[in-house]
Amino acid sequence: MSAWWIVFRKELLDALRDRRMVLVAFVVMPLAIPLILAGMSALGARKQIEKLEATLDLPVIGAERAPNLTAWLASHNLRIVAPPVDADAAVRNQEREVVLRIDASFGTDWRAGRPARVELIFDSSRPIQSGTTINRVRNLLDAYDREVGTLRLVARGVHPAVSSPLQVSARDVATPESRFDLAQQLLPYLLLLLAFIGGMQLAIDSTAGERERHSLEPLLTTPASREAIISGKILATAAFTLMSIVVTLFAYRLAFALMPSEQVDLSLDVPLPALARLFIVILPIVMLGATLLTALAAFARSYREAQGYLPLLIFLPMIPTLFLMVAPVRTQTWMLAVPFLSQNQLILRILRAEPVSATEWIISLGSALLLAGVAWFVAARLYHREELAASG
Amino acid sequence: MIVAENLRKSFRSRHGEIRAVDGVSFRALDGQITGLLGPNGAGKTTTLRMLYTLMRPDAGRVLVDGIDAARQPAEVRSRLGVLPDARGIYKRLSARENIEYFGRLQGLAPARIAERTERLVAALDMGDFIGRRAEGFSQGQRTKTAIARALVHDPRNVLLDEPANGLDVMTTRSLRRFLQGLKAEGRCVLFSSHIMPEVARLCDRIVVIARGQVCADGTPEEIRAATGMANLEDAFVKVIGSDEGLFA
Repeated sequence: MSAWWIVFRKELLDALRDRRMVLVAFVVMPLAIPLILAGMSALGARKQIEKLEATLDLPVIGAERAPNLTAWLASHNLRIVAPPVDADAAVRNQEREVVLRIDASFGTDWRAGRPARVELIFDSSRPIQSGTTINRVRNLLDAYDREVGTLRLVARGVHPAVSSPLQVSARDVATPESRFDLAQQLLPYLLLLLAFIGGMQLAIDSTAGERERHSLEPLLTTPASREAIISGKILATAAFTLMSIVVTLFAYRLAFALMPSEQVDLSLDVPLPALARLFIVILPIVMLGATLLTALAAFARSYREAQGYLPLLIFLPMIPTLFLMVAPVRTQTWMLAVPFLSQNQLILRILRAEPVSATEWIISLGSALLLAGVAWFVAARLYHREELAASG
Repeated sequence: MIVAENLRKSFRSRHGEIRAVDGVSFRALDGQITGLLGPNGAGKTTTLRMLYTLMRPDAGRVLVDGIDAARQPAEVRSRLGVLPDARGIYKRLSARENIEYFGRLQGLAPARIAERTERLVAALDMGDFIGRRAEGFSQGQRTKTAIARALVHDPRNVLLDEPANGLDVMTTRSLRRFLQGLKAEGRCVLFSSHIMPEVARLCDRIVVIARGQVCADGTPEEIRAATGMANLEDAFVKVIGSDEGLFA
């Protein structure tokens, strides 16, 4: 038996007997991540459905000036209600999402065959909250406009096509998987975060904790080389993180299986083969995280000291996510060589059911594993320093 | 047999360089108990750490059974059983699992580990707690576990840094018997202590260290004769130059 394997087995056993560590890795994480994502997604989907299908209260100023229009709107699932006193203020204060004002000269213009004026009052700075409602009212007005226009042309013996020189047909190439929402943006980040620092407790416990409990010096009196010892600890951290991720991914799958399908964004429901691919994508990040955490924690004199600065590493996987949120760019090959950015892109593409070529796989896995290898080498060198064990 | 040849070790600190060990030479023979006696801060722990390859000497040489520690540190470590100053054991493992872990790291087969564990449990009287997890062990139980795991691979040479620290009278007595047992088996036993009576009672040979240097080396009789003091305690005070830190 090699020394690294002996250390690896002991550290895993030690960690699995730590109730707090097991609770966080195998209960809290697998519950929290699917709940956050499924919850956000379900909430978003429900709001969307409500806004599209529920009867909408539309305040109309001067409804009596256009009885036909208001009757038509009312027959299209809108309820005409009395307008607020100050329409602009009501919209700005979010009391109303949209207010329709019918011009005073609407009746005379209509009868004379001139364009009769209606005004839509809305706040475009709140696209998320009221965008759906504004579009709904606007589409209804457009439909009424076309309907009456067509009837007038027909009444005058003109073919309606005359007034439509252009036929615009829209074809949306978005697949159900590629529709984007906030929950979907969050999934790569949560996955990368879990992969990167999921083993933090174990890394601290097996290094800084070992120093604090004075068991490192005895360990170094055995013939086991320091490379073997730190390798065993790194691999134990990685294995523990991987187990936590597997449980979390299955919990994630289960959460979507249990939820009523009309309530969740189906693009977040990842089939098993895609889950397997996600797992491979984040594998090098697990290795990188385990190595960096172990190397850093090895130099903290105590548990507390290690806990003090390791959370800074949380920001590392966040950087590409923020970068992509601010400046969404097309994937370019060089990005796949940048750890975190690369995984972030690949996770999104797997979720969107887009193909990933063999070269892209090699670049992504290779670059991150190479970096993990460098970190490993540095960690092993650092572990040779005398100050490490002789702190007493 | 352990040989220290002209060992030197300095540490850098905020107040400049500190010479912790400044030319220490001695030999600890097989079938003998050798005591490294000196006041607190004399350089005992640093000397031992160089012997068990935790630290690299700035100058000098360590030979264990004739093997150079700088050239073959792993081989030297497998020939040593070490109870360091730090003797933490793993709390979530049982005493037996703690011993097994070190047995595996020493490259022993499971059957051999089990056999050695049984012998050490009997010798150190660990029967009533060997299967328990180490969480909540008394100081004596922890020290016994640490000694057992240090000796699981049946080493010819045994190094102990202040083994009696924090032990009660009964445990100290059984430790003393245990060390005499090791000596009777023909092993080379070297331990450090700042407690003069402990060293005087156990040791065949005493190396007195103060300020990083050896100031006396010989059997208790030789030291008495060299200093001209009838009383061993007075002899120590004379070679060290003061009684500071010797009886703490």
